[in-house]
Amino acid sequence: MRPFHPLFILEIIPELVTYLPVTLGMVLGTVLFGGMWGFFLALAKVRRRPVTKALAEIYTYVTRCVPSVVMLFVVFYGLPELLLSVGINMNGVDNGFFVIVTFSILYAANISEVFRSAYLAIDKGQREAAVSVGLTEAQAFLRIVLPQSIVVAIPNFTNSLINLMKEGALAYTIGLIDIVGQGNRIIGRYQGSYTLEVYLALAALYWIMTIMIQKFFGAVEKKLSRGKKELTTAA
Amino acid sequence: MLEIRNIHKTFGGNQVLKGVNIKVEKGDVVVILGPSGSGKTTLLRCINFLERADEGSLDFDEIHTELKNASRRTVNKIRKKTAFVFQNYNLFQNKTALQNVMEGLTVARKVPREEAEVIAKEALDKVGLADRYGYYPSQLSGGQQQRVGIARAVAVRPEVILFDEPTSALDPELIGEVLCVMKELAREGVTMVVVTHEMSFAHDVANRVVFMEGGVVVEEGTPRQIFQSPREERTSQFLHRINRDYDYSI
Repeated sequence: MRPFHPLFILEIIPELVTYLPVTLGMVLGTVLFGGMWGFFLALAKVRRRPVTKALAEIYTYVTRCVPSVVMLFVVFYGLPELLLSVGINMNGVDNGFFVIVTFSILYAANISEVFRSAYLAIDKGQREAAVSVGLTEAQAFLRIVLPQSIVVAIPNFTNSLINLMKEGALAYTIGLIDIVGQGNRIIGRYQGSYTLEVYLALAALYWIMTIMIQKFFGAVEKKLSRGKKELTTAA
Repeated sequence: MLEIRNIHKTFGGNQVLKGVNIKVEKGDVVVILGPSGSGKTTLLRCINFLERADEGSLDFDEIHTELKNASRRTVNKIRKKTAFVFQNYNLFQNKTALQNVMEGLTVARKVPREEAEVIAKEALDKVGLADRYGYYPSQLSGGQQQRVGIARAVAVRPEVILFDEPTSALDPELIGEVLCVMKELAREGVTMVVVTHEMSFAHDVANRVVFMEGGVVVEEGTPRQIFQSPREERTSQFLHRINRDYDYSI
């Protein structure tokens, strides 16, 4: 085994960074699709329709109990089978698709709880006040409740985003070449000689991305916190 | 102008309103008195559909509707004729005092922005907050917040303002400033229905006092009748007890 080679870390970072779009694309796609799905789940949970509420709660409970790496393989092997039975062939579909589907399924459950608690955090009296001066329910929600809920949701949303990004590192297990996937390829290229250096480089990249996410949403929260008494930013 | 007949409301197994009738004429200041749990607040909230009554009908000018199955449009129409002042103010926390008052004008009534601003400033001036336009609710005292709440209600020029214990969350020093504003409104002829425990307000400002208990109206009449010669034993008992504890002059 070669001695530890710290400069190698810096050498491979540019190569890893070229795969950053894959990692970030996976996160963005998941936030988009999982976020939308999570929004509907949250809606079902706060509305008083017993059947949809129960379904949303069961969904959240079940998916939250499945480790993401297990879910990843269930989707990777299960989804093509399922779709084949209705005549859709999944051969040749990019692995990124399965990754986004998997993490959307899981992320929706987490983010629906973030949305739900943010919605409930806004005193319903403000909604009543809004309709009492003649606003419709939709206007009261969009103009009064939602803007305040968003501010409340930001810290938890930031956490969920960071968790998602880190769990996304598991995507290489089904063959996605993101920064971790490429890191593994580099390890292979040197027959495992630089394993520690590669993982340290990956750790540094995740560290930088996490700090950037935190700083960014901390600033957003500060900007949106008009009229809030105390400011509690994550960063 | 406004008449509600035979209103019933049950929460779970608890029957809160058991057939209340109430009639409000233009310019009336109706004060509803009664012990906690007598259904005063629920009655008020049923008038502008913050609660849905189980039974009863409502006549408001030309509108006639059953309370139970009023359509969304009718509800919105009635809400535009009324305004509500809440016990805990319920100001929009993400908006300034001025924006709080303008919201009902610009959004619900489509009043142009500049015009709405003029009306809103007038309303805030009237409640003595000319120097607080740009303040957020979190930067105002309770009494100031409640006065913004009143300005928000006044600005939309409703036909009746419903006050739900507007001073109950305030300390004694701040109660006076809110009652003064309400007294001034009454003097200007604003129609008001007020649920309160402020006996002096009921006595001095109301032209009709309604005493409720256990979900029914026990007695109603002029303040003089109610305070000086109540017909019902229960009314005099209640007034006797409460008068010793609460006495603020305005």
